Amino acid sequence: MITGHYKTAYAADESIWNNWAKKSGLVIALIGLFAFPLFANNYLLLIAGQILIYMIAVTGVNVLVGYTGLMSLGHGAFFAVGAYTAVIAHNAVENLFPLITLALSAGVAALFGLLFGLPSLRVKGLYLAVATLSANFIILFLIRQDWAAPWTGGRQGIETPNAVIFGWELASNTAKYYLIAPVFVVFVLFAQNLFRTRFGRALIAIRDNDHSAEILGISLYAYKLKSFAISAAYCGAAGALWSYFFPAILPEDFSLNMSITLVVCLIAGGMGRTLGPLFGTLLILLIPEILKIISGVFTGGDGNALIHFSSIRDIVFGLLIILFLIFEPMGLVSIWDRFWRFVARWPFSK
Amino acid sequence: MTMKRRTFIKAGAAITAASLAPAIVRAEEKVWRVGGSLPMTGPFATAGQLVAPALTDFTMMVNDAGGIGGKPMKIEVEDSGYVPKNALANFERALASGPLHGYFGDSTGFMELVGPSLTGDKAVMMMSTSFASSLADPAKRPYQFMAGPSYQDQVEILLKDISAKGGKTVALVYSDSEFGRDPIPHARNIAKQLGIKIVLEEVTKTAGADIESHVTKLAQANPEYAILQGYVTGVWPQLIGAARAFGLSTQFMGTFWGMEKVVADRVTEQAGPFLDGYQGVMPYRYFYDQKDAPYYQEVNAWKKAQNADFPGYIVTWALEAYINLLIWKKSMEITIEADKPITADNLMASMRSIRNWDTGGFFGSPVSLAEHKIGQGRVYKYSAETKLFTPVSDWITT
Repeated sequence: MITGHYKTAYAADESIWNNWAKKSGLVIALIGLFAFPLFANNYLLLIAGQILIYMIAVTGVNVLVGYTGLMSLGHGAFFAVGAYTAVIAHNAVENLFPLITLALSAGVAALFGLLFGLPSLRVKGLYLAVATLSANFIILFLIRQDWAAPWTGGRQGIETPNAVIFGWELASNTAKYYLIAPVFVVFVLFAQNLFRTRFGRALIAIRDNDHSAEILGISLYAYKLKSFAISAAYCGAAGALWSYFFPAILPEDFSLNMSITLVVCLIAGGMGRTLGPLFGTLLILLIPEILKIISGVFTGGDGNALIHFSSIRDIVFGLLIILFLIFEPMGLVSIWDRFWRFVARWPFSK
Repeated sequence: MTMKRRTFIKAGAAITAASLAPAIVRAEEKVWRVGGSLPMTGPFATAGQLVAPALTDFTMMVNDAGGIGGKPMKIEVEDSGYVPKNALANFERALASGPLHGYFGDSTGFMELVGPSLTGDKAVMMMSTSFASSLADPAKRPYQFMAGPSYQDQVEILLKDISAKGGKTVALVYSDSEFGRDPIPHARNIAKQLGIKIVLEEVTKTAGADIESHVTKLAQANPEYAILQGYVTGVWPQLIGAARAFGLSTQFMGTFWGMEKVVADRVTEQAGPFLDGYQGVMPYRYFYDQKDAPYYQEVNAWKKAQNADFPGYIVTWALEAYINLLIWKKSMEITIEADKPITADNLMASMRSIRNWDTGGFFGSPVSLAEHKIGQGRVYKYSAETKLFTPVSDWITT
């Protein structure tokens, strides 16, 4: 039974993989992640690909909302910036190397993040959430304009390119999944490590008490804007992957609904923890699909039966979210923590 | 065990048809499977819930008559919530669940999203609720088709009707959406060719439009005709109501999604008879116009046999589903007759080979599907008194 952790150095206190359970968990998760396409059909790969892309974006939202304490309802727009930047870049330079596209999309989204993060210097909380809402409307408005249509496809949307790596075109869902999975791992590990640095601790200090942080010498303006930029860059990279993953992108893909979904995933998973966005995204994106499959079993695809089941399905999903927030307000990650505490103290745990 | 008369007839028809079917049919699956996505929830849930029974009814009618080539068909519908990526997930799940011989899409967005990926193993003959002009493109969208005229065709039909009636000025009022803007550049060209002057182009919100402001602009331009495009249940009735209250004499005209009797009747009941005289293009006969429509008569009789309380009306949105599935069925029959495997390529080739086909009354004259669409329609006028749309033009082709 583990009764405590004896540490003699600050580095040991900061280490991530500090016990056998975490190490073996990581190895199993990585094996599972990369072996998944061997057993999955196209449908499962489609859902898995979407979930991994969303996880990257929600991890980005977590940097801002969970670690810096700044609320945003505009990250769907940064996602759109990344997706459209990738398509525009590919249309300008054929067979652009995907990592360059990712960097470009992340960079452009970061610039937009800086711009729309400016209100954070004056307002916070719900006021900032309302201010960031504008990103959705302004960016989608620009994308839809006729004069932008040669680059963005306007209202009709635009077909997206397949990623090409050293002459190999990633056209199948399996190939696309293998592009997304490593990027996902790198981005999540980066986020985990970010908060072991001086910069990350400064963001946490701002979240916990911004006045105290400023007294300690942390420049609120600089750190808040950097947090916005990093967070938007994550969404931009996710957008680039989205454009590789789907055969076309449409402006309505990146509506306010997406921005809200990103925040809901974070709240459901648990804010300010690396695993929170992963659990939350899994929950919020998988439950509707599972409910749809269950309703399909009951209706057999019959249209008349579906009329009744579809409304029930939405009600069940809504109830599940409400019940979840009532009984587990700290998010899924808190269940995860309790489970591992139970395992560590077994057989003396309650 | 006793066998009912209906079951006996069904079994007999299936056995007879199966024994006569070409070898290719007997060698393949036990059922022709069609997948579908409909917006059963979300902003267009009303439309989805009205269309869904049509898919079930069509399946039952076909199977009652012995199926296609002796095999029954099955339609598996899923809810999309009118979100294209949800519909894409539904499509992928349907594909992963076994051979898929057709798919019914729910929106332009989904058709645009899935279009580029319909290649190789993923190629499926695909119909939808959309009349977006970009989908009637055999070169770019080889597996997608529409069972009627595109929005461009529909507006062209209206402009030709206006020209035939001596109209000289028109306003184009459309929603700020892909749906609304789709036919506008084409409308400008056709209006120019026909010598009709476009005196106003007014863009509105898709919902919650500033009606007074739009009507004021219409009053300033004072067009003889105003074509409304890109609306389903909202905005267009309010615009017409406000224009009538303002004293405007402009003749308003709509396209397919703004021409549903159920919507017009509800507006009339709730807000008064101001839609009286409203006109628009409808690709299909209304269901109550069954005199020259043997297929409608057949559906009507079947529905009455199923439910004695059937009111005798099927919404135009559901008729679109029927004709889409009829085209798919016809393509299946041609392919089976030619003893070819049921693949998306063969089905689409069969569909493109359809010439001068009598649809049983949906359209005024026999149709061809070489261009993946049917470019004909008729202008109808609504009467608030009879609550019927009646034709005021011949069938017009583009």
